[in-house]
Amino acid sequence: MAHFNIENLTFSYAAAKGRHSLENVSLKVEQGEFLVLCGKSGSGKSTLLRHLKTVLTPNGKRTGEILFRGVPLSKVSDREQAEKIGFVMQNPDDQIVTDKVWHELAFGLESLGCDQKTMRARVAEMACYFGIQDWFHRDVCNLSGGQKQLLNLAAIMAMQPEVLILDEPTSQLDPIAASDFLNTVRKINRELGTTVIITEHRLEDIFPYADRAVVMDGGKVIADDAPRNVGKLLYEQHHPMFSAMPTPVRVFYGAEGVGECPLTVRDGRSWLSKAFPQTPQYPAIPAPELSEETAPSALSLKELWFRYEKDSPDILRGVSAEVPKGSLYAILGGNGAGKSTTLKAICGICKPYRGKVTLFGKQIDKYKNRQLFSHCLAMLPQDPKSLFVKKTVREDLEEMTKDKALIEETAATCQITSLLDSHPYDLSGGEQQRAALAKVLLTQPKLLLLDEPTKGIDSFFKETFAEILANLKKQGITIVMVSHDVEFCARYADLVAMFFDGQILTTDTPRRFFGSNSFYTTAAHRMSRHVFDMAVTAEDVIRLYQKNKEAAK
Amino acid sequence: MGFESCHPAVNFLFFVAVLYGSVSFRHPAFLAISCLCACAYSVKRNGKAAAVFNLFLLPLVFCFALYYSSYHHFGVTVLKQNFIGNNLTVESFVYGLVIGLRGATVCMWLSCLNRIVSSDKVVYLFGKVSPLLSLFLTILLRLVPRVKQEAQRIDLAQKGIGRGSNQGNLWQRFINCLRIFSMLITWMISALALEADSMRSRGSLLRGRTAFSIYRFDNRDRAFVIALFSCITLTAMGVILGATEMFYNPRIIWKPMDARNSATAIGYTVLCLLPMGLELWTEYRFRKARCES
Repeated sequence: MAHFNIENLTFSYAAAKGRHSLENVSLKVEQGEFLVLCGKSGSGKSTLLRHLKTVLTPNGKRTGEILFRGVPLSKVSDREQAEKIGFVMQNPDDQIVTDKVWHELAFGLESLGCDQKTMRARVAEMACYFGIQDWFHRDVCNLSGGQKQLLNLAAIMAMQPEVLILDEPTSQLDPIAASDFLNTVRKINRELGTTVIITEHRLEDIFPYADRAVVMDGGKVIADDAPRNVGKLLYEQHHPMFSAMPTPVRVFYGAEGVGECPLTVRDGRSWLSKAFPQTPQYPAIPAPELSEETAPSALSLKELWFRYEKDSPDILRGVSAEVPKGSLYAILGGNGAGKSTTLKAICGICKPYRGKVTLFGKQIDKYKNRQLFSHCLAMLPQDPKSLFVKKTVREDLEEMTKDKALIEETAATCQITSLLDSHPYDLSGGEQQRAALAKVLLTQPKLLLLDEPTKGIDSFFKETFAEILANLKKQGITIVMVSHDVEFCARYADLVAMFFDGQILTTDTPRRFFGSNSFYTTAAHRMSRHVFDMAVTAEDVIRLYQKNKEAAK
Repeated sequence: MGFESCHPAVNFLFFVAVLYGSVSFRHPAFLAISCLCACAYSVKRNGKAAAVFNLFLLPLVFCFALYYSSYHHFGVTVLKQNFIGNNLTVESFVYGLVIGLRGATVCMWLSCLNRIVSSDKVVYLFGKVSPLLSLFLTILLRLVPRVKQEAQRIDLAQKGIGRGSNQGNLWQRFINCLRIFSMLITWMISALALEADSMRSRGSLLRGRTAFSIYRFDNRDRAFVIALFSCITLTAMGVILGATEMFYNPRIIWKPMDARNSATAIGYTVLCLLPMGLELWTEYRFRKARCES
């Protein structure tokens, strides 16, 4: 029997004035299936998922039916739904209810009214299965994001659900924590046979392993098939969702490859090996003539040392960097390496106890606070929400300046003109990011600092965001960005710096930087490393593939 | 290994007993017992910091007695008259000392309580009364550090555009702080809405909630409770017979320490020293076991 059977579900939010968020959605989820739901932000994925549990179902007009094991969902008791249908949400912080790890694990069981003995056994079991026993007694607020999300998952699994629904569970995590988390989800599906329904931006990690992929667009299901077939279908339809596919899929279709489409880097490698049994004629992309690298530097850091407390360890241990004017400078590195602290040091929020920060040829101490933050530099924080004060985006922008023309112009640059009258909290992640960027830009900075700007944003919004950044560069703005996002930096940055152990170790162009790495690099490079040299983006691989195929003819 | 590893109910019972004794016994001997034991135990638990804190309390007690006697003029033994003609008496000064010392003792016991009874234990004890109440408490405990973190995050974000809590002139700083506060409220509303979703999704609205605990009531707890109750009974008998009473008004009437009163005092001393005794005994056993192995 199918676990969920959704029949002709149509739904519109009460406030949406008749615009359908879901239109005629019919979907069957079999027991033990691993189903990936993909689509742009706002395509109705979350709305659909929330319909699968009555207490989370949004208010609005609805027709159609949802059956859970053959029974209409509305007839399934709350107790059974709480127990059988597990739901993990986006933000790890917002889901944790209690202050201690052990208590959080037991929360659901307490609600179900389990007795002490059962709870002890189940909690112990969960802690062991998820490897939580080492931090069992910790305070929740001292956990990392990845640990928090794992705790949420474990707390739900403790109730032994039959279906696990995950709504973009990794969007707030760093890549390492994210792939750990997704591996755990796969393990649950594989080892326990729990049905998994997941929406996710990071398709590279789960797309190949899913039994089925469902693509939504504008509230409709436009594809519902095995992942490999979905890739093909999207390519044939020239659908924008194709750009979110894993790199091997994009390269395969982009290069019009023959054979079976690879889904993982491993398959991609063997596909390329088969296509080029001998070393290809053009193994590398012709290097562009070196542009005059003597552009004057906008920002220079000289051996910065910083620690938060007198007795705490050094966070910055001699950071040095030169950022040329008008470039996009990306700082990559692991969690807690001190990247964000470097940004704080640049804008004077942290004062290094040794070393110099020079901004446009003038030392930062010589700037007055007011000079520094108007017409000079500004920082876009990691969480864009923490910039919004007012009820609409427009009011928020007007708070920064009285110049209406400037506001209109900035809104146009950031592509938020149509969003000006909405509440900032109602926007999607990518839109919030752009609105926040507009607000920051109204201080008219010459140097823009971005703290993980691509966190939690889907691939389309990333492209739009990159476009905006390119425009800003044209206006002569220098951008320094801290990021975990290897793929984004490889495509759009001018210079990439590796941050490790409190220092910037290497700085290079993305091609040379990623081209010489073999682990910490893009999927395209990992996939093509044995055949091509220094091909770091999907486009590079496609170009080389086609060039060599033509040459072979 | 220490008293904190005992069952929360035992911890709770002990502190209720000693705090009640410290507050209600008027006899200076009993007060002194409680004070010395509290002092010793707090120094054992918190080390140098507690010793400094306790020494710091002494002059405060003296100051309080001075303050008290200059406003209360009962008693018959006049020391002198102050400049508006009121009597300063020995009785009121001594009584001031007693009240001050009582306050200091309670402070010391509370500093021990703070180390022994964690928020978890409070939540657990409330859970015994009502699981819903303990849920409410634990949500609060989670919220407080979260709000703090978020406030820092917002402040940092605002500093990045020159509108932080420590940027600009005084007036601007004030305005910036208000803005941060307003953002914090907006954030809290949306965060609590999401948290409510997560709670409902895990069945928080179902009837028949239970409370999970990580505590067990073991044999050591049983032994401790028996000892505790014996001491409490002994002391309570003395209390009923008036061993802890004392008169300060109009004249100090000292109760002689006869056999009955001494027995009560011994019972009370043992009561106050129980946790420390337990800890010393456990440490001794531990050391011995380690030497032998």
